[in-house]
Amino acid sequence: MTRPPTALAAAAVLGLAAGGARAMSGPPLDYTLACAGCHRADGAGTPGSIPPLAGSVARYLAVPGGREFLVRVPGVAQAPLDNAALAAVLNWMLARFDPGHVPAGFAPYDAAEVGRLRHEPLTDVARVRRRLRRALHRARFFP
Amino acid sequence: MSQSRAWIDRVVEGAARALAQRTSRRSALARLGAALVGSAALPLLPVARAVAEDARPSVPDDSTLEGAVGDPTSCAYWRHCAIDGFLCACCGGSQNACPPGTEMSPVTWIGTCRHPGDGRDYIISYNDCCGQSLCMRCRCTRNEGEKPVYFTSRNNDLLWCFGTKSRAVHCSVAVVLGVATRS
Repeated sequence: MTRPPTALAAAAVLGLAAGGARAMSGPPLDYTLACAGCHRADGAGTPGSIPPLAGSVARYLAVPGGREFLVRVPGVAQAPLDNAALAAVLNWMLARFDPGHVPAGFAPYDAAEVGRLRHEPLTDVARVRRRLRRALHRARFFP
Repeated sequence: MSQSRAWIDRVVEGAARALAQRTSRRSALARLGAALVGSAALPLLPVARAVAEDARPSVPDDSTLEGAVGDPTSCAYWRHCAIDGFLCACCGGSQNACPPGTEMSPVTWIGTCRHPGDGRDYIISYNDCCGQSLCMRCRCTRNEGEKPVYFTSRNNDLLWCFGTKSRAVHCSVAVVLGVATRS
């Protein structure tokens, strides 16, 4: 069923007239409250201190260990979200910020996988990240 | 020259007369009106809204609030429920804008505060304004919902001037990012 354009426009105008701020729920809300303070609303990060997500985060899925790394990094593993919500945010982030690098046939994260991985802390995040970046560089996923 | 102008005149006149014979003024007005309304509605359609997703939303009306909960220069202002810093509204800025000569940090402390008027939970971003020494006016430390310092992403004792030219904190704003709805 298609809604007449006038009704659509009227509903949109009413929504604005009510003065409602943008409503957020589910993964976008969890991302805003738990991640966006540092990674920013657009996933741009801050060069030199906070890694960007936009155009970058899904590249890690292309190399062995990358899928696990995205859950085990401190900001994800320690996020104040339960396993199901965390899995949903991860899947949402990949689709929202870096859809072009999500491999074909990518199996979305689920609560069980996230629950297992977040209990395997990375004791040397920078070293693991460097190793993955070298592998990505060899595979020409990063310049 | 005058001949070519006459030729153009004849073509335009012919086209205008043909148009006038085919259509009424009312239908022309109706089409013009539809085009105007349509172009005004375009930014509201989902496609355009996806592009404008990160734009600042409209905010709840504070004029309905009485007393300190509606006063951005008060620590009791409703948006300040999780703030820790000097209020920019007392420092030459506002609850939304940094004072002149300071730069808003893109890295920020985000939480929710309940609006006492409509009872909804709004997402508030407490960006620090950076580049001058501490303002020292209207210090406000509420920190509702804060976690201990070992939980760094939920602790407010960190300075948040990252991604700015200067790390010197001056004051903090409380910007509404949206409204939280638990589905």
